[in-house]
Amino acid sequence: MLLGTLIYGFVNSTILALVAMGFNLTFGISGVANFAYGATYIFSGFLVWILLNSLGVPYFFSVVIAVICAALLGFLIYYVVILRVKGLALSEVMATFGLGLAIMELFRYFDFVGFRYTLPVFFDGSISIGDVYIDYQRLAIALIAMALTLFIYLFTHHTRIGLAFRAIAQDERTALTFGINSDRIGALSMAFGSALAAVAAIVILPLGTIAVEGGYDVLINALAVCIVGGLGSTMGILVASVMIGFAQTFTANYLEPHWMMLVSLIAIAVVLVVKPSGLFSHQKELEERI
Amino acid sequence: MNSPAVILRVTDLCKSFGGVRAVSSVSFDLSDGELLGIIGPNGSGKTTLVNLITGFIKPDAGGIRFRGKDITGWPPYRIVTLGIARTFQMVRPFYQLPAYKNLVVPLYSPRVRRLAGGKYGDRDAVALDLLEEVGFERDAYVSYKVASALPQGYLKRLELAKCMALRPDLLVLDELFSGLSLAEVAGIVPIIEKLRFQGMTIVMIEHRLKELFRIADRVMVLNYGEKIAEGSPETVMESDAVKKAYLGSET
Repeated sequence: MLLGTLIYGFVNSTILALVAMGFNLTFGISGVANFAYGATYIFSGFLVWILLNSLGVPYFFSVVIAVICAALLGFLIYYVVILRVKGLALSEVMATFGLGLAIMELFRYFDFVGFRYTLPVFFDGSISIGDVYIDYQRLAIALIAMALTLFIYLFTHHTRIGLAFRAIAQDERTALTFGINSDRIGALSMAFGSALAAVAAIVILPLGTIAVEGGYDVLINALAVCIVGGLGSTMGILVASVMIGFAQTFTANYLEPHWMMLVSLIAIAVVLVVKPSGLFSHQKELEERI
Repeated sequence: MNSPAVILRVTDLCKSFGGVRAVSSVSFDLSDGELLGIIGPNGSGKTTLVNLITGFIKPDAGGIRFRGKDITGWPPYRIVTLGIARTFQMVRPFYQLPAYKNLVVPLYSPRVRRLAGGKYGDRDAVALDLLEEVGFERDAYVSYKVASALPQGYLKRLELAKCMALRPDLLVLDELFSGLSLAEVAGIVPIIEKLRFQGMTIVMIEHRLKELFRIADRVMVLNYGEKIAEGSPETVMESDAVKKAYLGSET
């Protein structure tokens, strides 16, 4: 029981990290909280399903097309919506959240509801660790989450665009004096974050069905991880994912499975009271805020 | 004798914030290779003028031409690409990056890539060379420290090095000397003189008049957003308008 809880807790942690990664990346670079993130996740899932089942596109191409479309969607949202309200945090949230709602509820409106909306797993089957059985899909999730974390680290630390990402994140004005077009980098960060949402969807959704409600859950989980860890902090994301991931799994196994969703919400509430900036981020001094 | 070409022409530039006229009808020309000092009491519109020239704010009226090209209202990143670099009065490094990495960012800028024509070599090495040029000790740990751990004197020199990395034609220094000791200023002056010798045009906003007047070709005085005097350092110093602006007047 304990071994199983630990293993599934770890997998759950990697799922959370995967889900939060894109949201955190966009926020860390452009300062935009993309509340259409959950919608992008669901959009990507349904897009793969439509390409596969309605249009007969091979799996590999469906996945590639979906990731590219998600990135384009993010890019467009930035230029068409966010740029108009840039700098007004509340308007950014309302605009992206409203757009997300519209996208998700449109899927419901067009009757994308039911058990037939599932994505294929990468490999069928499972292995046993001790007396715990775990399917290949969950192993794939854990591996892909870790690989993506490494990839993002290498990308931001060893490429030109990555350096521009970090420059904009640290001081937009100085970056502007270096010939960096902050709007374009902002749009790229949105595209990058949305593409990560698509990857998360493609990897995670095979565990269940694609449902509109999943988009809301993803947004809440991403928010919980980012708030607990400290928005914009990669280290914070990893630590917060592990904390919330294990807490959720232990809650599900030892208390009640349907209390699982409460863990994220309680974590958000506690952190906002105790350390509002999150575990790995610094609260700005009053002077900096002005 | 032919007079040097005009590199920057500012005509009737105006900018108001609410009801305050921060810059009102300011015009001036800048010749290639000149060092122009801009002085004036606090709130006289000096930094606003810098922000207008470098594109951080858009003017209400008036025009800015750089090398004959109308750049009025252009965004900052395009103006930099043409060759105008600036420092900030309050230093603005990338605090989480090591000092030399702060210079790698401008070394990747479109302007430097164009000037280098594709071949740039090792940007980290170029950055370390630049740091040495502005007085960071060679091979010392200080170049690898994150900017947030550097003292003010180094940050100011880093600010200058970031501009040098862009290889600008026009360099705008917004109170580079403020907050520095006499000795630190004495360390930076030769760097500025060297840049001038290499042919760079420089605009310096300064409160440290003594140091400025020693190196400036020409000085312009702003007060309440208006140009009240202009000329060689000696004549400006003697003008009644300046004395009045700085010392106040009874009338």
